[in-house]
Amino acid sequence: MFEFKRNGIHVVKYRVLWFCLSALLLIPGIVAMIYSMVTYPTHSPVKVGIDYTGGTILQYGTAKEVSNSDVAVTRESLEKEGFTNTYIQVLKVNPTAADDKTKSMISVRTKFIDEGSDEASKITSVIDKQYSDAELIQVSSVGPTLSSELFKKSFIALLMAILAIIMYISFRFEFKYAVSAILGLIHDVVFVVGIFSLLGIFYNVEVDGLFLTAILTVIGYSVNDTIVTYDRIRENLRYNGKKMAFGEIVDASVQQTIVRSFNTSFTTFLALAALYFFGGVTTKDFVLAMMLGTVIGTYSSIFFCSMLIDFWVDKENKNKKITAQA
Amino acid sequence: MKNKIMMFWLIVIIVVVSIITIYKKPTKLGLDLVGGSRIMLEAKTTESVAKITPEVMQRLQFAIESRVNKLGVSETSVAQVGEKRLLVEIPNVTDLKEAEAFLGKTAQLEFKQPVLDAQGQQIRDEKGFPQWESAGLTGEDLKSAILSTNQAGQWTVGLEFNGKGATRFGELTSKLVGKPMAIYFDGEEISAPVIREAIYGGRAEISGGDSGFSAEEAQKMVNLLNAGALPVPSDIIQENTVGPTLGAASIEKSKFASIIGIALIMIFMIIAYRVPGIIADIALVVYGLILFALFKAIPVTLTLAGIAGFVLSVGMAVDANILIFERTKEELRAGRNLFTAINSGFDRAWSSIFDSNMTTILTCVILYFLGTSVVKGFALTLFIGILVSLFTAVTVTRNFMHLIFGTGELKYPALFGLRKNDIGKAEVFEETKREKARFGILD
Repeated sequence: MFEFKRNGIHVVKYRVLWFCLSALLLIPGIVAMIYSMVTYPTHSPVKVGIDYTGGTILQYGTAKEVSNSDVAVTRESLEKEGFTNTYIQVLKVNPTAADDKTKSMISVRTKFIDEGSDEASKITSVIDKQYSDAELIQVSSVGPTLSSELFKKSFIALLMAILAIIMYISFRFEFKYAVSAILGLIHDVVFVVGIFSLLGIFYNVEVDGLFLTAILTVIGYSVNDTIVTYDRIRENLRYNGKKMAFGEIVDASVQQTIVRSFNTSFTTFLALAALYFFGGVTTKDFVLAMMLGTVIGTYSSIFFCSMLIDFWVDKENKNKKITAQA
Repeated sequence: MKNKIMMFWLIVIIVVVSIITIYKKPTKLGLDLVGGSRIMLEAKTTESVAKITPEVMQRLQFAIESRVNKLGVSETSVAQVGEKRLLVEIPNVTDLKEAEAFLGKTAQLEFKQPVLDAQGQQIRDEKGFPQWESAGLTGEDLKSAILSTNQAGQWTVGLEFNGKGATRFGELTSKLVGKPMAIYFDGEEISAPVIREAIYGGRAEISGGDSGFSAEEAQKMVNLLNAGALPVPSDIIQENTVGPTLGAASIEKSKFASIIGIALIMIFMIIAYRVPGIIADIALVVYGLILFALFKAIPVTLTLAGIAGFVLSVGMAVDANILIFERTKEELRAGRNLFTAINSGFDRAWSSIFDSNMTTILTCVILYFLGTSVVKGFALTLFIGILVSLFTAVTVTRNFMHLIFGTGELKYPALFGLRKNDIGKAEVFEETKREKARFGILD
């Protein structure tokens, strides 16, 4: 459907431009991450939820739409009861046949509520008093021991995934391809985390345990796309390596795979978009992270990883020439 | 051709078996979809129990299980996670308060003494039930209960108290000689033996009266007592409770979203690839059927994250087809005949399909072993999805392509979304002899 004219695009020629564009895409996120790491008490690059900080979230469904001024009242009454550091969020809910009553969801986050303590019922009674039809629909609680453990585990998972992929690509391709692919996935991860860092600063979006899953999936997906392009470069090198310059081979490979890359990420994007707009509220941020990852993964495999390989080979060739002259 | 027809029937059989499985087996839905509580408990050491041994965990698990079973909810589960944690899952709780009540309630073993009137007689209520009051002795004072027999050869339950419990038990029994003392578990009376003499030394025996205990009764009581004696205290370190309305709404939304997402993908495939697109869509339906049959047969518990994994795997399943069709189109443009173009389209795309899926499988494996249970669900569905998609997107599509297009010339390039004058325009790769044999190139 989206056919490019044969030999119609020369990506390699604008190599520097693509690197600049990547920088432009990443810098706002990086700035946000540094800002977050300096200012947040958790020193994390994104605003983290109870999975990583520990705490309790009580969610209530109401049949009336809840406004911001309602929330201010709720916060005040909670403060009177001694809950000073609560964080209250309101989500609008699309009605469904199974649940046509709930219009808004109020979630109240506090510090971890211990077993046997009546703090949860205190909060519930405050909510009940203000919203006559409120119904407790979800309670999540993560203790402080578990949260620090999750943090550690997430980090290990991330490192192991990167290591496994380096090993796999080094085994299937050359080492320089592995390094470029890894730089590509770091590019993608920084972009997605950066966007969430910005969302955290401006819209109070918090990440939970599922966010890591999304990031790891983005990693898998990003590398997937890159590999398809590399596979083509490898193949073209085998057939035309003697006839064409490396840059031309990269160009040809990008041309041959760009339609596929676009179509694939477009289909995945369609599926994810459906989940984002029509799916459950709980997985919305998770799906958003994957959507961003899909788009940036495709971009980076063409305009970042391939350019990186081209850049690397260019450098190698120049060094060879210099040694040959010497 | 014979092989192809056999393969076709094999695919048909797989589809039929899948449909039967889907029809017969129930879907296992996660707590976030049906509503319910998932609670993670962590055992804590005490002065008397310095180390959490597997035996201690077993006793704790039994104690928690018997409490959860008292809720009268089906399909509850209590499982040990790691060395000192228990994951308690209680599905279908209709009332959130019910689950909360279970958390707040510390069901315990309790000894009770009779409420006595001025004459030293036990007071009974208007219905004639004897009245009891707390004797200040609980499961915390019990060291253990064991199964034993007395001189008469009857089954009895031997009790052993700890230091503080032994002292208290001595005081109580000396005060209550000739009177009954009741043993309560979770507010339920299990027995009310009459004290014959003061018992010091911290050991006691409960016999079943004149009729005696059966072996099962005595064993059950030993278990209950040991359970009630909660070997160690436990803390809730994680809890997630979802109300049934939220669960039902989530199922409905996810269903709708998945259908929309898959429909969009199918429409796109037909627009982009025409007849092969239709074949890919059929393969996608086969994919969906096999996947759901597997989910039910294994069984995989379906959660919200799992559904996201499923939808993502649909995107990846068509990726293999896109790679293959792009390649086939290229081969057609290069002027190859239909049979060769289809074959080399598949063979050439295979290495990138394999490599790209391998990296996703690698991340799935890591997620599965390091993730929490929610993450595990996502990784497992994505993993199974990728394996099934390799079969449907490659084997099934290839089979259908050959059966439909046969070996003839491509008379209508539009079937592939190509124009007549595209054909023969592209550059041809020169294959080696071996590749020619592999791709089935006849020249």
